[in-house]
Amino acid sequence: MPNPTARRPRPLSPNIQIYRPQLTSVLSILNRITGVLLSLLSVWLVVWLVAGAAGPRSYAVVREATTSLIGRIVLFGATFAFFLHLCGGIRHLVWDTGRGFDLRSIYVSGWLVVAASVALTAAAWAVGLSHSAG
Amino acid sequence: MSEHATMIITSSDQVPRATLFKRFPVPRNFGVARESRIGLGKAWPAPPGASRIKSFEIYRYDPEAGGNPRLDTFEVDLDDCGPMVLDALLWIKNKVDPTLTLRRSCREGICGSCAMNMDGTNWLACTRFISDMDAPATVYPLANLPVIKDLVADLTHLFAQYELIEPWLHARSPEPERERLQSPEERDKLDGYYECILCFCCTSGCPSHWWNGDRFLGPAVLLQANRWLVESRDEAKEERLDNLEDPFRLYRCHTILNCTRTCPKGLNPGKAIADIKDMMVERQG
Repeated sequence: MPNPTARRPRPLSPNIQIYRPQLTSVLSILNRITGVLLSLLSVWLVVWLVAGAAGPRSYAVVREATTSLIGRIVLFGATFAFFLHLCGGIRHLVWDTGRGFDLRSIYVSGWLVVAASVALTAAAWAVGLSHSAG
Repeated sequence: MSEHATMIITSSDQVPRATLFKRFPVPRNFGVARESRIGLGKAWPAPPGASRIKSFEIYRYDPEAGGNPRLDTFEVDLDDCGPMVLDALLWIKNKVDPTLTLRRSCREGICGSCAMNMDGTNWLACTRFISDMDAPATVYPLANLPVIKDLVADLTHLFAQYELIEPWLHARSPEPERERLQSPEERDKLDGYYECILCFCCTSGCPSHWWNGDRFLGPAVLLQANRWLVESRDEAKEERLDNLEDPFRLYRCHTILNCTRTCPKGLNPGKAIADIKDMMVERQG
């Protein structure tokens, strides 16, 4: 059927505006978003390392910023993003071997990624906070 | 269909019972071209005397009337129509608004004509139970395709992409006296690929095809590409793989897996694409 160019163009049916978020698409886009976030936040990692190398005064400034309330919130988010991206990446590596493509495995591995990320974030922060308290 | 399996989906015909979001948190007309913005539509009440009523919000577009697409709300008398969404749509067409336009043929889930987006996921209207739909039920045409009228989408580009993979037998050897023979083991390799009805639910639900559909072939076409790559009687495997050596045709697949989730025939395009990627790597040594 020819596309009418003399008349008005055909509308495009809605896609992301109406398509249901499912575990498949949500975890996939989260993997991409956490990847971007981690590249941005790695700048802060470099700042921290350079400040450490530069001496106690500059290190104190960076430490002050990181341990402030906003700093801790961002750090918590960054830890979760890190573990989500890590577990998601492992899931991708398993797919690269050709395994885990049936629907049941896709959903089991997907929820495992979410659960593991939450657990690892909690564990990392538990260890980190116990060290700073002691 | 087990109620307890809501978190772990084991088969694509399982409808999600509860989700945190029914749509991605973007505005209703997010990034949509001016002519595609959906406006408010008409309300069509149920006939008097109907007791079991369900509301259906249906995407409408009339190319001859001009104007933008809109969302009409129809109240359907469930005691007067069959159990499937296609039955409801045809009830509306017969009893309420005869201008409602849709594609349909076999009414048994084998022709692929009535593929559309219902409650946010792509499926065949003739095999989707009304009782599995939300209240109100939402019916849109297949996602990210030009709309000819109402629920009828233009599949020209998708079929052109299908033609690109040359879905026919390439055989240089002369025609045998009788059939080209194939062992049962070789025939088993086609299972899970030959059953595709080309409804394009998968391709229309692939976000990568939404963003790069002009050059990315999409899961339906790539599933068929795999069907011909594993065909033992075909003699053009190298050429077929050469055809996919391109950053876009195959490799825009990022294993999102919406395709496998939504296939109304229970096929696995995600796995097929992974197998093709494996073949591409293998032949490089």
